Amino acid sequence: MIRIGDVLVSHGEGGVYGERMLAGARVWDPFRSKLAALYYAGTGVELTPGMRVLYLGAANGTTVSHVADYVEVVYAVEFAPRPMQDLLEVARRRKNLVPIMADASRPEQYAPLVEAVDLIYQDVAQPDQAAILVRNCAFLRPGGQAILMLKTRSVDVRKTPEEVFRETIAGLAAAGLEIVESVWLSQFHQDHAAIVCTKHPVGVSHE
Amino acid sequence: MQSYWFGDVDGDACTPLAGDAVARARRVRSLRTTMDGFVPLDWKNAITCEAVGSREEYLSALRELCFAAAEQEIREQYAGKDTELLQMVRTLDGMDEVINLLSERVAEWHQVRHPTFSRKYHRTPAHVLVRSISQRGRGALGKVALQVEQLAAARTDLAKEVSARANQVMPNTSALIGGLVAARLMSHAGGLLPLSRLPASAIQVLGARTALFAHLRTQSPSPKHGIIFQHRRVHNAPKERRGKVARALAGKLAIAARLDYFRGVPVPEFLDRAQERIDSLGKGDEP
Repeated sequence: MIRIGDVLVSHGEGGVYGERMLAGARVWDPFRSKLAALYYAGTGVELTPGMRVLYLGAANGTTVSHVADYVEVVYAVEFAPRPMQDLLEVARRRKNLVPIMADASRPEQYAPLVEAVDLIYQDVAQPDQAAILVRNCAFLRPGGQAILMLKTRSVDVRKTPEEVFRETIAGLAAAGLEIVESVWLSQFHQDHAAIVCTKHPVGVSHE
Repeated sequence: MQSYWFGDVDGDACTPLAGDAVARARRVRSLRTTMDGFVPLDWKNAITCEAVGSREEYLSALRELCFAAAEQEIREQYAGKDTELLQMVRTLDGMDEVINLLSERVAEWHQVRHPTFSRKYHRTPAHVLVRSISQRGRGALGKVALQVEQLAAARTDLAKEVSARANQVMPNTSALIGGLVAARLMSHAGGLLPLSRLPASAIQVLGARTALFAHLRTQSPSPKHGIIFQHRRVHNAPKERRGKVARALAGKLAIAARLDYFRGVPVPEFLDRAQERIDSLGKGDEP
């Protein structure tokens, strides 16, 4: 990841959402973007120029625009028409951004469009957040990585965030994903956690 | 065989897909893929398929298709007749708030300028006062009052439009409770589809959120009515029968909303019977 001093930045055309510029680079604010918060609070996944990314829950294209600055191509899935209008505007100016208007919990809707990817970023805040990620793992190449942004309050408000966190991790492990990193983003976003996992290559033992 | 956006791939063979981005987008939306044993596409197949010549061409063709598909989809979602009505009602409610707030503010300001002025015993409605201030007030005060007056005129026009549009979009609900109130119900529910999915008991207390949650949390009595209080049969009914009228009206509204969503045309047989029932309760013919 590119940092100027302690500040996380990305190189690309600015002015997407009024972000600050620093020495010609776009400042990636951890208080606005949960992915940026992960890079501050933990390690995350190093974004490289050759990467292909499937981004679920792209919303207005704020975080997506930063990811697109780093990687080869981003497939950005968003369901609601109002944020989609903004996302299309961002995608018009970023040639490596493929906007897909579909429901992330129904990957069969966009299966004919998406190739195998190196990274899946799941930021759809739904009660079945983890299940959505697991369903989309069909697009993840063996050995590829996935990041789940867990909004514990969207999963179940009656349970404590810690309980939801534990249960989600157990659920992902049961689905055959190996948990690489799990961190709370509390200093930036309340009751949010990030879980990074890896999909095992076919034939490699899970033990 | 797997169908992808650029064509159908079967082993080494590939049948490219003809047509421009719009036609392809339409076809992709009609595809029914199953995720069991799904193999993600390999973009190199698109070259085998002679759909594209390079990685750049691949991405630019795919992007063109995705833009076309998204634009189609957005247009369809906005084409629902209730989408614009929703914005209209919310604008109307916003204007009401602003007009009331500014009228009061202008009156207070006027009072400070004229120490002998008082509204006591005059019963001057706010809009009449605002008009007189806009005619006589000097400087910024007069200008603000004039703006409030014009805003009020725009509000009246908008209210008429909302009512007329509601009569088209939700004919049955509007016939029972009036276009404006019908539109407000729809706005509170978040659209015609969500409204048609609400049970009558929820429609009865739409707009009485504070009272409802106070009831759920404490021992306070449950609200009898929300927005539907604006119906004359509800607010004119004697206090002890209001709950009963509100309940019956809400029940009929729930049916009306479903008729509006699924049929979209007025259903006279239903309307006559519903009206009769509500009227008889309101007049107290029935015990």
